[in-house]
Amino acid sequence: MKKNRPFYYLFPSFFVILGVIFIPLLYALFISFIDLTKNVRKLDNPDLWNFVGFENYKNVLTSSEFFPSLWKTFYFTITSVGFEFVIGLAIALILNEQFKGRGIVRGLMLIPWAFPTIVNAVLWKWLYDADHGTITGLFAKLGLTEGYANVFASSFSAMNAIIVADVWKNTAFISLILLAALQSLPKSVYEAANVDGANVFRRFFKITLPLLSPAIMVALVMRTMEAFKVFDIIYIMTGGGPAGGTRTLSFLTYESSMMFSKFSYGSSIALMMSVFIMIFALIYIKILYRNVE
Amino acid sequence: MKKILGLSLSAMLAVSALAGCSSDKNESSDSRKQTIRVLSSDDFAGFREDAIKEFNKKYPDIKVELEHVAYDQLHDKELASFNAGGSAAYDVVDVDEIWTSEYAEAGFISPVTERYTEDMKQGIVPASMNIVSYNKEYYGVPMFNDVLFFYYNEDLLKQAGFTNPPQTWDEFTQMSKVLQDKKLVPGNASSWGWSSNEGLVCYFAQFLGSFGGSFFDDKGKPVFNSEAGVKALQYMTDSMNKEKIVDPASINANDRQILDAFKNGKTAFVSGWSFYWGEINADDSKVKGKVKVGLIPAVNGAPHATATGSMYLAITPQSDHEEAAWKFINFLGSKEIQKEQSLAAGSLPIWTDLYSDEELNQNHGALSEMGKQLESTISRPSIEAYNEFSKELQVKLQEALLGKKDAKTALDEAAKTAKELTSSK
Repeated sequence: MKKNRPFYYLFPSFFVILGVIFIPLLYALFISFIDLTKNVRKLDNPDLWNFVGFENYKNVLTSSEFFPSLWKTFYFTITSVGFEFVIGLAIALILNEQFKGRGIVRGLMLIPWAFPTIVNAVLWKWLYDADHGTITGLFAKLGLTEGYANVFASSFSAMNAIIVADVWKNTAFISLILLAALQSLPKSVYEAANVDGANVFRRFFKITLPLLSPAIMVALVMRTMEAFKVFDIIYIMTGGGPAGGTRTLSFLTYESSMMFSKFSYGSSIALMMSVFIMIFALIYIKILYRNVE
Repeated sequence: MKKILGLSLSAMLAVSALAGCSSDKNESSDSRKQTIRVLSSDDFAGFREDAIKEFNKKYPDIKVELEHVAYDQLHDKELASFNAGGSAAYDVVDVDEIWTSEYAEAGFISPVTERYTEDMKQGIVPASMNIVSYNKEYYGVPMFNDVLFFYYNEDLLKQAGFTNPPQTWDEFTQMSKVLQDKKLVPGNASSWGWSSNEGLVCYFAQFLGSFGGSFFDDKGKPVFNSEAGVKALQYMTDSMNKEKIVDPASINANDRQILDAFKNGKTAFVSGWSFYWGEINADDSKVKGKVKVGLIPAVNGAPHATATGSMYLAITPQSDHEEAAWKFINFLGSKEIQKEQSLAAGSLPIWTDLYSDEELNQNHGALSEMGKQLESTISRPSIEAYNEFSKELQVKLQEALLGKKDAKTALDEAAKTAKELTSSK
């Protein structure tokens, strides 16, 4: 009897998760197999459900937008998480050292992360403004661009501009996790390595990195899944433009479901996105557990 | 026993937490006082707030709650509200002419044909009646008669040595160049709202019409990729990338943002809606009193056609107070309020009589010029999948404007999608 007790305590949260995750998920799965466009009142009458099987999925995969969107999403995810990891690790290593004013620097580092994404997006949009943006102005003054550059005029520069804004905000998250892990590393190992005469690089690659890998994995899992779902920053900064150049999968889902009211079609895209995210999660979990053992 | 108690308590807690969100229904404590909720676009919200005060003097038992959002968010917000219920629903919504077939087909707005009086049917401008009509029903009351007008800064043009606004697009190019060469404008002579938004389709419609083209032929086949359409898009692209008379930032601007540059005297021409007139002649405008309205330039032989963009207020079937909602939209559409709206916000009234109204003509400096522009217009196509068509067209137009595709290819691709969208139904 006593053994079951923890499960009873989990009941309330189970209900909440059921309500906000499982039921909506099943609902999305359901509407991805029927033909639901424009009017959701159709759902009240089972005669109108009109099951279409995998038709919606087929339409998504044969549409001209899906694969370009998928590549854009991958590009965004890999580039932004990559930069965030490298910079985040560097910051964590620096902040792990003893120096004057470390507390203040640690606090300041968190400010970008504390910003709501919407604020961050609007802020960067202004910095990039083609008439009076600070960054575009700086580049013009330095002679890097001829006059104020129009960052959002090409898909490539628009996408990278968004990535810079995303990296600026989310690097702090990775360094926070890595810093916490660094602080808990056993001092004795380093002392032993010092005695053995291992230099700073050797200590980093042979001790720090392996011991840090569970934390690295956690940070990467979370950031990759987040980045793959990127929406708000794109919605504010480019609205998917120019010429659809920053239309990631989430944006495509929003466009289909919210703008064109193609709910079934939109759900199919969303569910295919979830499959990708699940694959990421599985890969990471596999690596994570191997390291723990 | 204790265990079961704890268990049921926690379950109850969870259930009540979930149920908390759906308890507040329409509060109808006072049966006499009715509340109608109105969703409006930002553009006329200021005037509508004032009009509500007047409305309340006449109908003290109807309370009007006005919510407004930017035009670009309006459609999404409306769709969400149509499919929601309870307190998220609106009684009255602001509808753009291009959404009529979508909303009417889906049953999101209710016909009000029977409420129309003979006086309204006779007195309202036919073009305005057109935008609320679908399948022989009227779906609301038009709020203004709007097209993209051609505003020019007469002061700057005079300094450049011109006495007339440009008549043709070639003249437009030449005059822009002179203005730029003489440094009368700090940058380019004009800015346009060519970012990926509905305004881009309106501007394209304007160029398409003034180059002699049209969107669909009589049989419903897309023809905007014909010679006229290609030339129109080519002109748009060249004016920005080759002739450099159009601000390159136009690619990120919408049809609201470009007004600022014009108001500050930084550009000499702007093509925009009627509410621009009110803004241009507001006290914070640097070009107050210096601006005139001319006809949209056109190529030789083509009409000086411009894009229509009128909106109207419609009642949703979700409303429990249809009578009150009708009173409200009928009030806003009435002659006296229409006249006030023209005087306050510069918009063009829906009543034929008002165009010859003396007081209005005296106080609205551009009424007669604007009236002339109303005679040649081109409407965006009214198809059920309009938003999808529009988004695709926006993407293709931008690809051409960015030089990724040539005008012909871009329009051919958009026409192909248009064909698919119209034939699937």
